[in-house]
Amino acid sequence: MTILRFYQRPSSLSIAFSSRHERSFSGSSELVTLTTRRNQCWRFSPLKSSNGSPLAGASWKDDGKEMPVPKVPDIGSQLAENTVSITVVGASGDLAKKKIFPALFALYYEGYLPQHFTVFGYARSKLTDEELRHTISTTLTCRVDKRENCSDKMEQFLQRCFYHSGQYGSEVDFCELDNKLKEKEDGKLANRLFYLSIPPNIFVDVVRGASRSASSPNGWTRFIVEKPFGRDSESSSELTRCLKMYLIEEQIFRIDHYLGKELVENLSVLRFANLVFEPLWSRNYIRNVQLIFSEDFGTEGRGGYFDHYGIIRDIMQNHLLQILALFAMETPVSLDGEDIRNEKVKVLRSMRVLKLDDVVVGQYKGHTKGGKSFPAYTDDPTVPKGSLTPTFAAASLFIDNARWDGVPFLMKAGKALHRRGAEIRVQFRHVPGNLYKRKFGTDLDKATNELVIRVQPNEAIYLKINNKVPGLSMRLDSSNLNLLYSERYPREIPDAYERLLLDAIEGERRLFIRSDELDAAWAIFSPLLRELEEKKVVPELYPYGSRGPVGAHYLAAKYNVRWGDLSDSS
Amino acid sequence: MAVSFPKCPSSPLPPLQTRNRAWLSPLSAPLQVGDSSKWALLEATKRCHLCVSATNGGSAVAPVEPSKKVQDSGPKTTPTDHSTKVENGIRPTVLSSNEFQDLKTGPDNSGRESTVSITVVGASGDLAKKKIFPALFALYYEGFLPKHFTIFGYARSKMTDSELREMVSRTLNCRIDQRENCDAKMEEFLKRCFYHSGQYDSEAHFVELDKKLKQHEGSRISNRLYYLSIPPNIFLDVVKCTSLAASSENGWTRVIVEKPFGRDAESSAALTRGLKQYLHEDQIFRIDHYLGKELVENLSVLRFSNLVFEPLWSRQYIRNVQIIFSEDFGTEGRGGYFDSYGIIRDIMQNHLLQIVALFAMETRTSLEAEDIRNEKVKVLRSMKTLEIDDVVIGQYKSHTRGGVVYPGYTDDKTVPNDSLTPTFAAAALFINNARWDGVPFLMKAGKALHTKRAEIRVQFRHVPGNLYKKCFGTDLDRATNELVIRVQPDEAIYLKINNKIPGLGMRLDRSNLNLHYAARYSKEIPCAYERLLLDAIEGERRLFIRSDELDAAWALFTPLLKDLEEKRIAPELYPYGSRGPVGAHYLAAKYNVRWGDLGAEH
Repeated sequence: MTILRFYQRPSSLSIAFSSRHERSFSGSSELVTLTTRRNQCWRFSPLKSSNGSPLAGASWKDDGKEMPVPKVPDIGSQLAENTVSITVVGASGDLAKKKIFPALFALYYEGYLPQHFTVFGYARSKLTDEELRHTISTTLTCRVDKRENCSDKMEQFLQRCFYHSGQYGSEVDFCELDNKLKEKEDGKLANRLFYLSIPPNIFVDVVRGASRSASSPNGWTRFIVEKPFGRDSESSSELTRCLKMYLIEEQIFRIDHYLGKELVENLSVLRFANLVFEPLWSRNYIRNVQLIFSEDFGTEGRGGYFDHYGIIRDIMQNHLLQILALFAMETPVSLDGEDIRNEKVKVLRSMRVLKLDDVVVGQYKGHTKGGKSFPAYTDDPTVPKGSLTPTFAAASLFIDNARWDGVPFLMKAGKALHRRGAEIRVQFRHVPGNLYKRKFGTDLDKATNELVIRVQPNEAIYLKINNKVPGLSMRLDSSNLNLLYSERYPREIPDAYERLLLDAIEGERRLFIRSDELDAAWAIFSPLLRELEEKKVVPELYPYGSRGPVGAHYLAAKYNVRWGDLSDSS
Repeated sequence: MAVSFPKCPSSPLPPLQTRNRAWLSPLSAPLQVGDSSKWALLEATKRCHLCVSATNGGSAVAPVEPSKKVQDSGPKTTPTDHSTKVENGIRPTVLSSNEFQDLKTGPDNSGRESTVSITVVGASGDLAKKKIFPALFALYYEGFLPKHFTIFGYARSKMTDSELREMVSRTLNCRIDQRENCDAKMEEFLKRCFYHSGQYDSEAHFVELDKKLKQHEGSRISNRLYYLSIPPNIFLDVVKCTSLAASSENGWTRVIVEKPFGRDAESSAALTRGLKQYLHEDQIFRIDHYLGKELVENLSVLRFSNLVFEPLWSRQYIRNVQIIFSEDFGTEGRGGYFDSYGIIRDIMQNHLLQIVALFAMETRTSLEAEDIRNEKVKVLRSMKTLEIDDVVIGQYKSHTRGGVVYPGYTDDKTVPNDSLTPTFAAAALFINNARWDGVPFLMKAGKALHTKRAEIRVQFRHVPGNLYKKCFGTDLDRATNELVIRVQPDEAIYLKINNKIPGLGMRLDRSNLNLHYAARYSKEIPCAYERLLLDAIEGERRLFIRSDELDAAWALFTPLLKDLEEKRIAPELYPYGSRGPVGAHYLAAKYNVRWGDLGAEH
């Protein structure tokens, strides 16, 4: 029961179960909510994942009897107490300030961090602990639905934050860090997590320094790495090779924060926990799948990094492709991280290598609307004048396996478009021998069903169905069967980083990208990327704030598809 | 034309109606259907051309002064469109009187206008007052009635026309979304209402009615609709008189009959035989007002116009289907009629069984009425005759709650003290065909229960090899998908799906993919009687019950009903306002089913 208390945070979400929680466990089946047993699911099952350090991992993921629970601090520790030290390398960076520290605080606030933990910032700048705390405190916020005690909690959290200044390439500096860490760990079983929030060119230096000089002597040591993972197959496998000189596969956690999004997580649940979707999940019923990502702003003076990578590497090859793999994979043997990643790799390896013909690239140009002028991509001072880097791309991909043969998977990603959003659209085929054909007019395409999973903003799932318009005649329209998250789940949805950090701490690898996955993903895109660069393909210009280049429509039309996001008013 | 039948060689009215319905300019459509369906509107207008012209193409139809649009598209189309023409039209919204003028009927084959006379036999009754006249007025208000029409009340009581009007006017009301001109419209409507007093079995009185009707019809082609809102024992008398003495000479004559259609297979067959002495099958419109409900109408649309449902629509995916009807009040002093029929005849054998048939039928060849009814008959005939073991009956007893005493069924003065009539019944039915073999169809109907509702619940099977099994706890039954079609109140469709609760854990719950009609369609949903009356006027038989359907329906229930009566089976008593007898749960449990409406989520 202790471990359950650990998860059962007071929240409005738990209405369904919190008050009746204990009963549910003593066998009452009155419960509506299907499960509160997080420990019965993959997370925390002691046997599943083979992590770097089985002992510590197991004690973390034990059945809970000995588990020290943050809110019950006086529980006796029969085992050596364990602790986790999270070192954010590149602590003065933007990502660290905006995402990582706030996510850590949220985890702490919600009681997900172990009782004893230490947060270290590591960077080159000279800062004191106090200065770090001050910087962090400006970005910490409490979840909107639970503001009580926020400042107390923040204070407590900040007391656990420390700073160590050092060079990224210096083993000596990491030795010092190690000493400090040991001091804080105070003889407990030490687990260490390094979050590399640094430019990719120093990944390997840091990994070398940290793994040689600051690895945990008795617990696990894990490294979270953020994209970019190289620029193409070669550079990516080179990076992997270097990382593996110092780390084993199990220690590498390649983050793709899109996989931490609530609705992406839910994709598998939707599909595998419901009878009504799986029968439809194949070329027999699905006409096409669309993965759409759009931002309504440009690089806004921060184009330096972006210009070097472009939208395909920045969004498509990782985020969208990962979603695609999750969407299209066969049923995994279990929910275990390795089983899921095995299936994802299979999908990626069944995919046709992307060709230039199946891709449209675009770049936004300046646009004046309502007296306000929006800059072009190349107006960004951090972007070279003649840059051909695409800020928009659309691609059609195919999975040549039995389930998906011939079904176009269309991807679209762009900056400076007319709206912001990320969604998955599944367009179903026509109803064969449709009795109501005449009611639909000439355009039967408009009468097909569509399942939309809106990842952001306003998380929602809806299924477009044809319905009779109430009234005396027989007129049909397309209505939505809706699940709007904000209505159903009033609680704030946790940020993707929270989930991923927690997973890394828990050794749950489901949402992290394995080396072979990464290789397979690059293999699909590398030839295209090289061709684009070699041929200096000029992107089609589109106005800032528009719906993107017309070419995307032609690409879709080539496979008899219409972009769902441009025809759907909802 | 599709709607013509032997007795009435030319039936000009339906085409006129179709045209009315089709006459829609997108601007005048108060459609409120949201942006996503703009296309539907446009398409709808396009379609109108098609269906209008189709009627023009029909041979027996008088070509009317067509609007420009129609003329344009007319010649292009072929008469083959007739199959969908009746329903094909779109909601005409309000045809203003100006528009009506525009529809002035031109000379038809015989150079005459047509008219429809609707005679409500039993005009002083409750149903007539509460449902029929208001429905007729609503049709008039919304412009669905033809330009010229006459409404006659017929009953034994002596009344003048103005007394009838006074009586009718009290129950008329306007649709909430269109109150403008209501008084004026009501005035106009009442002027078309007349009364004729007469005995139900007197041909002479019907001859008098015929004369009055002729007077109002003038030289127009007359179509006559009789609505028999009278007790069943005088059905035949009235039908005989109307058909012999007051049939239309040049148009159609149709008779709408309400339940009860007999008490069992024999009496129903006798009634049908009796009716058929005077009427053709296609003159008989047996009404089942449940079939006129919006969501029951939508059932076929949902199933056949969406790809995502039909693959699931079989024993392979569906575990059971529940059809639930409950009322939260008892007979309240009007148990006389009910007591001689009981809930099984009153609700199950007709309303619920019709819904089952619609739900379970195979894909029909077309949307034509006969095709639908053919498929429904097939389902009914594939069904296993109901046995007493598969039925639970109950009767409500009095109950005191919060100081208020609710009466038992037998406390009703109009009910015999020792009545065994069930006020609640639950039954498990099976359809022995390839699609549904082994799938229990559970029905439940009751009075004086804790809620008022009618709904269809489709419970799906477990997910085979469910990966998330461990996340559901021990009760996997709670983790199955369920499609709920709530017919009343608060029309809605929702699909229960398992979803991950947002948050860092992997907890699942059941959420609904929702379509709540009130939120999506702000327009008031028309009353079932409006639809059915309009369909009868248009000769659209889709929602009416054919004789062989009725026979098949009775065949399923008659042995059980006899058994119940012969063995004098005592119903299980349940308190007024409760969830019904416990027996219903045992019955469901026998087939490994849980009633969805009693689940924890409510």
